[in-house]
Amino acid sequence: MNNDLFLAVLQRLSRVPGVRGAMIVDMAAGVPVVAEMADGVPPEPVAALAASLFRRTARAAEGVAFGRLQTLQLEADAGHVVVAEAGETAVVAVAERSAQLGLVRLEVHRAAEALL
Amino acid sequence: MRREDLDRVMAALREPTRRFVQEARVRTCLVVNGAGQVLGQHGFTRSYEIVNIAALAAAAHAAAGALAGLLDAGRWTHLHNDGERQQMFLAPIRTPVEELILIAIFDEDSSLGLVQLFFDQLVEQVQQLPEFQHAAASGDQASFERDLEAAAHRILSTDGPGGA
Repeated sequence: MNNDLFLAVLQRLSRVPGVRGAMIVDMAAGVPVVAEMADGVPPEPVAALAASLFRRTARAAEGVAFGRLQTLQLEADAGHVVVAEAGETAVVAVAERSAQLGLVRLEVHRAAEALL
Repeated sequence: MRREDLDRVMAALREPTRRFVQEARVRTCLVVNGAGQVLGQHGFTRSYEIVNIAALAAAAHAAAGALAGLLDAGRWTHLHNDGERQQMFLAPIRTPVEELILIAIFDEDSSLGLVQLFFDQLVEQVQQLPEFQHAAASGDQASFERDLEAAAHRILSTDGPGGA
């Protein structure tokens, strides 16, 4: 997997209206592989917390026999975070509250599939 | 460091290390000084040979500093050892008084990113402690002997060095 693919995936995701940042995260280490975030949003804490949250939720999903977790969606007052697993990595998108969530989710899934 | 100073420093580090273990989800957290003296600890510390780990971490810290100097790489920020089941994170905490070393041992419950994230917060908390605000007396022979005596006392005491 080369860096060009990572960047192409991120650029496509970043063009979705309302997306303030996107990154590909190494799930085991919880660190960003590549990131394109809006100014003032540091990628490292987002990557660490998103990976941790995803792994914990995946464990909970397995615990209640829901099977493999594919997507995690976090809603907050000011926006959304969508995380989709892509093998050893995960695609993370940070979007404004007003963003079209369906479109963001679709693009995050496409990005994850492109990385597999 | 005198015995009473050591007790005061250990008490001051108790809450920051507890919070770090809880938030970063590490198994064990140790804070040691450059001499390998344990100043703070929290987590499953009884699972490990704490004194040996502290001494080896201090040695690794010194070696990493020397290596960084040889490579003209400046001061190092952390060492990460990724084992099969457990990982170790070693990083300096710079204070006006002295440079401390954090040793964090963690497994799949945490990650390097998470440890780094909460390490930055730990550093801020430690740097704000009054015990690490002002440079103390120089490391002369008397203070070295006090350090040695305090460390020996802790190792030989039946209570152990405290912690979780």
